[in-house]
Amino acid sequence: MDFYGFPRPDGQVGARNFIGILPAVGCVNAVALQIERLIKGTRAITHHQGCLHPPQDTEQVTRTLINLGKNPNCAGVLVVGLGCEMVKIEEVVEGIRESKKPVDAVVVHELGGMLETINKGAQIAADMVMEASKIRREKSGFDKLVFCTKCGSSDTTSGLSSNLVVGEVCKMLTDMGGTFIQGEVCDIMGGEYALKDLCVNPKEGDKIVGFVKDLYERGLAVGADTRGCQMTAGNVAGGLTTLVEKAMGANSKGQMVPIQSALLYGERPQCAGRHIMATPGHGFENLTGGAAGGSQLILFTTGRGAPNGHPVIPAVKICGNAKTNLTMKSHIDIDVASVINETETVRQAGERLFELAVDVASGRMTKAEILNFDGHMEILIKGPVM
Amino acid sequence: MKKYAKLVKVGDNVVTSVADIGENETFIVKTENGEKSYKSNQKVDFGHKIAVEEIKKGEQILKYGQEIGIATADIKVGDWVHIHNVRDNYEVK
Repeated sequence: MDFYGFPRPDGQVGARNFIGILPAVGCVNAVALQIERLIKGTRAITHHQGCLHPPQDTEQVTRTLINLGKNPNCAGVLVVGLGCEMVKIEEVVEGIRESKKPVDAVVVHELGGMLETINKGAQIAADMVMEASKIRREKSGFDKLVFCTKCGSSDTTSGLSSNLVVGEVCKMLTDMGGTFIQGEVCDIMGGEYALKDLCVNPKEGDKIVGFVKDLYERGLAVGADTRGCQMTAGNVAGGLTTLVEKAMGANSKGQMVPIQSALLYGERPQCAGRHIMATPGHGFENLTGGAAGGSQLILFTTGRGAPNGHPVIPAVKICGNAKTNLTMKSHIDIDVASVINETETVRQAGERLFELAVDVASGRMTKAEILNFDGHMEILIKGPVM
Repeated sequence: MKKYAKLVKVGDNVVTSVADIGENETFIVKTENGEKSYKSNQKVDFGHKIAVEEIKKGEQILKYGQEIGIATADIKVGDWVHIHNVRDNYEVK
């Protein structure tokens, strides 16, 4: 089992090799989508942010756009701007340029409209695709791998099987010098002190506790107790009794692996090992956070069958519910119900998942990719929207 | 067919059922020292918890080696453990 990826000038290794068409603001999504339709080998990375934010959100959106552009799955990036957005187009371009990959920008106001921008943008993208298509996959070390994780449409099997299996992969990957990013502050809620105990540096643990407190306080500001909102009727019907129980099941995606740092949303880790990022549970923003963190792919556990992927990173769907593995077969990449039936140990299933993940990082397509169920994403903002 | 419930961590006082277990039905928990059988006092659905130790009112419910809640009534071995006899005592600090 070897990892074959696309080498990038900054030493990262990509699992995919497309040209990202990245709107600086949601207003020009239509332009990015047209360029994607015209030019093979491009990927529109559309979202709905970039303007009328408080300064903290402009900073967060800018950081996320830059780091999405730096994701090793992008061979090059064409930034599409409108010309009046709060996010500074030049700042995004210069930020991505640090990765030494090809990057350029087209601005609708400067070029005089949509059709002119599509024309110029498509020409630039076509040249970038030609160059990118010359890059060949090379055998690369496992230390170049960065995986992120999330659970979606979870049920009681998530904490008993798929999350534990991902935790096993976290152990294997970090033992081999790779990087693992975990998030979902809402799911951490109740288990933040268990995570703090795993932090190499207590200051990072305080940050994780702070992520939870921030979510709680922001909920209270709009009159919601986010502790109560977390437990769905489905969770209770499925047998989950308390928030701490739910959080411990979610936390097991990293098992007892030590935590190196707590990351801001969309921030890149500074070292290998396990990290906790301030991502929400909501998939559209969550996967974007992991992609901006530099992940080549996401290990996405599900109980009832969450089908969606992400434009920048392939999503490997892992399911421990035997029934869902039958009814949602066309969306599940790996069946780990064996862990519940005890026909396989968590370790054995983890080895199987690690092998699949390395295959996907080396080019094997996921169900969400094959089904084109991966076109949408969002960038997290705290608001208020103005 | 044998019915099983899972002990997540040694020392936990509840196990999680991985089958629909009926009232007064025998279920098995695998431990490091082999299999141990218990009898359920109520019907316990897949994914729900059953006590494998006696838990007094006010004592902790332990799963994943972690306190997940507090018993609001005395719980006997074999009892179904859920929101009817457990209180969430989590607070954001």
